[in-house]
Amino acid sequence: MAEVSEVSWLVQRSASGDEAAWNVLVRRYSPLVMAVTRSYRLTAEDAQDVSQTVWLRLVEQLANLRKPEALPGWIATTARRECGRKIRQARRMLPVDPQVDATLQQSTTVEPDAAILRAELRQALRDGLSELSARDQWILQLRAADPPKSYQEISHLMGMRIGSIGPTLRRSLDKLRETSAMQAYLAANLSDEETGGDHRELAEVE
Amino acid sequence: MIIVSSPRWSDDELLRELDAALQEESVDESVIRAAQGAFAWRTVDADLELLSLDEAFMLTDDVLVRGSGPGAPQRLVFHGERLSVEVEIDEIGIVGQLTPPQPGEVTLVTADGPQSTTQADDVGCFAFPLPASGPLRLDCKISSERFITEWVTV
Repeated sequence: MAEVSEVSWLVQRSASGDEAAWNVLVRRYSPLVMAVTRSYRLTAEDAQDVSQTVWLRLVEQLANLRKPEALPGWIATTARRECGRKIRQARRMLPVDPQVDATLQQSTTVEPDAAILRAELRQALRDGLSELSARDQWILQLRAADPPKSYQEISHLMGMRIGSIGPTLRRSLDKLRETSAMQAYLAANLSDEETGGDHRELAEVE
Repeated sequence: MIIVSSPRWSDDELLRELDAALQEESVDESVIRAAQGAFAWRTVDADLELLSLDEAFMLTDDVLVRGSGPGAPQRLVFHGERLSVEVEIDEIGIVGQLTPPQPGEVTLVTADGPQSTTQADDVGCFAFPLPASGPLRLDCKISSERFITEWVTV
């Protein structure tokens, strides 16, 4: 599908020196990096350090990325490792106060694996949505809104019979499930469920 | 809560997660601009060998350090085919050693560019005062060859 190659295309263009393509990549995946830093509860300043390190690393790996569709996984894993480093470092730099230290240990030794996977899933949903037609995007956004727009409002806004909204919505959701972004997410993460896998990203960079 | 890696999401679960996904889309422009600025570091000299951070070592390091508590330095090891660099970072600064031990010129580089240069002694030891927090890397010149470590957050 054309969209698998959209990320590939952006990676290739960036690797060959196209700064505009790089800027699009950064804008697209920055929410993923920031979601990972939030799961570690980093300060805004530390989050920015992590973000910059992730992108500095990526810019040197562009030419080595064999499977660009696995890029979200690579970004999330790199961000997670750098967050871990920040946390460990903060723990070391603190003056020795057993009480403070005990609190820190508690809040930081929980491995936010599920939070990282969720961040990747949300990135896949955003990427998947952008692969759909404007009309599919529209109906999904209207129903995803909190609170969701009623069928009546959607009928009015989209000029659609109320009776056809349900089936249209279901078809749009199925298209979203089938997008290359969602399929890539599932392919990368389904088999990892049991193993808690941390192995996939290593294969993506030479 | 949606199960993050199940393909059997109901329509409602998927819509709720889509809403959350769209809500977290906005990122501070200053973060994006700093990230985009990384592009300036795209070109790596062809004759420069990249030394990779040893993540497996980081894990054992973490286990050890948990036992030794706060105040212990952070240890990082970077590997290449012909050179390794080991560094310890604490609140005072960075000390490191080239392996195999040998003299050389080591430059501390941040996202703003080279910060300071020092000589590694006959057994490859060198030191820097601690730079401001942020990404850093070490650029090592040995005889006529150059090696550069991956970026790490400090």
